[in-house]
Amino acid sequence: MPNYVKIEVLRMLRNRRYIIFVVGFPVVFYLIFSGIWGAQTDSGGVRAAVVLMVSMAAYGAIAACLMSTAVPWAQERQSGWLRQLRVTPLPGWAIIVTKLIASLLLVLPSMVLVCLAAVLTQGVRLPVGEWLVLIPALWIGAVPFAALGLLLGSLLPADAAQSAAMISTFGLAILGGLWFPVEIMPEAMKSVVHAMPSFSYADIGQHLVAGDAAPPSAVVTVVAWAAVLGTAAVFAYRRALARA
Amino acid sequence: MDAIALTDVSKSYGNVLAVDGLNLAVEAGRTVALLGPNGAGKSTSINMMLGLIRPSGGRVEILGGSPDAAVARGEIGAMLQSGELIGELTVRELVDFVRRLYPEPLGLDEILRVADLTELARRRADKLSGGQAQRVRFALAIAGAPKLLVLDEPTAAMDVESRLRFWKSMRDYAAEGRTVLFATHYLEEADENSDRVIVITRGRVVADGTAAQIKSGISDQVVRFTLGGQPVAGLDGLPGVSAAEISQDVVTLRTTDPDATVAALYRGTSLEIRDLRIIGADLEDAFLALTRES
Ligand SMILES: Nc1ncnc2c1ncn2[C@@H]1O[C@H](COP(=O)(O)OP(=O)(O)OP(=O)(O)O)[C@@H](O)[C@H]1O
Ligand SMILES: [Mg+2]
Repeated sequence: MPNYVKIEVLRMLRNRRYIIFVVGFPVVFYLIFSGIWGAQTDSGGVRAAVVLMVSMAAYGAIAACLMSTAVPWAQERQSGWLRQLRVTPLPGWAIIVTKLIASLLLVLPSMVLVCLAAVLTQGVRLPVGEWLVLIPALWIGAVPFAALGLLLGSLLPADAAQSAAMISTFGLAILGGLWFPVEIMPEAMKSVVHAMPSFSYADIGQHLVAGDAAPPSAVVTVVAWAAVLGTAAVFAYRRALARA
Repeated sequence: MDAIALTDVSKSYGNVLAVDGLNLAVEAGRTVALLGPNGAGKSTSINMMLGLIRPSGGRVEILGGSPDAAVARGEIGAMLQSGELIGELTVRELVDFVRRLYPEPLGLDEILRVADLTELARRRADKLSGGQAQRVRFALAIAGAPKLLVLDEPTAAMDVESRLRFWKSMRDYAAEGRTVLFATHYLEEADENSDRVIVITRGRVVADGTAAQIKSGISDQVVRFTLGGQPVAGLDGLPGVSAAEISQDVVTLRTTDPDATVAALYRGTSLEIRDLRIIGADLEDAFLALTRES
């Protein structure tokens, strides 16, 4: 299975769409936004350069999870590659587990690049202990998005999966307050925003960089979404395998 | 123990009966061709042998157990009728990935050599021609050194030269005591590369034997013409003719050698013959004649 993970990661790293949309965009957005607002500080005294780092790392992670799962998986089902795998000794569960692991690995390039850009261009400095909590939290917290990607890939044909992954990525980013601060949104929207996994996901990161502990309600929200989407993904996956 | 044993296997899709009570046993070590026209049920049968689809009725036994068990043990390799590769990976990466899924695979270089891919090893899969991609799919099928190799129309998209080389690779692989079953539309391909041909149409076996037996079975054709009021005595004595039938003015001769029959008709009799036609004796034969032509 390590070999399968390697193959999955390798193919995405060679995929131009992944490199541009997933690795490139978050860093570029970070550089632009932080160039404009980077020096401001929020009410809690945290610099916008740091807040933006968390938002863009979160956005990159969501994009990576959805892009590296939904579209390739839908294509593999459609193109017959899944059938090819089904006549090898590779057990059925290994495919979904590999895809999950690979998509989490593929989260790292954009996350690391955004943090690096923050450190190098905005002089962001966090205590070592905070980095060591922030990065794993943002990394593991991406599980619900990987599950969502696998769910879409199992349910939809390839071109629909492509659009669905795009819409989900942007929808989660906007409704999660990753692109625009939640404060400027209308009141009615805010309850929607607070239920979004992307909001809680980034919120955990924002608390960590402010030197606080992760809010339990946000952790619960992310875990609950992971459980719901994960279960749905497993069901959809089994159905997809049976129809391979 | 048979490598493949199908007992009363059927598969229906809604009201389409794709496979209709198929009985089939293939001994280990044989190379068998599954011959049939479009929609005959070849792919459906093959996919049931591979555990990709479940039969609606009957039993499928592969290497002494269920297809799934044989697949899980790594004893089956297959080239499906269609299927794309992962475009971003090279030929070498793909082959190596698949071979490592098997417990006792062939060596990577050996697979590439047998499938004639050594020169293409570093090429990305999305840069391959159709025939080259077929060769990669063959490489994936043999990568795990499977006891049973199943190929669904393996030479589709290959040019003449590639076909010849492909069949040679296949025969080399089979020569090591392995069982091979392949589907094809061409009697000629079946003839040259298998020691048994199973012909199916509409989901049923209509002929089963060596290619020579199949050929002799289908050489019975019909010569039909209009004779008017002329005397008809002696027509059943013409060369090749096994039966003669006259209804109104139309004569129908069954013959194993239409060429000789027609030649004798024109040279050996003084009959005035009109509307001469040579046709397959019945639907099955007509199909076979068709597959032989193409
Ligand atoms: N998924 C499906 N749904 C409905 N009908 C199907 C399905 N798959 C196959 N069939 C029908 O079953 C019959 C047998 O199809 P099959 O693919 O086994 O034929 P084949 O012998 O492989 O033909 P070909 O030479 O064209 O590949 C056909 O009539 C086909 O239309
Ligand atoms: Mg077919």
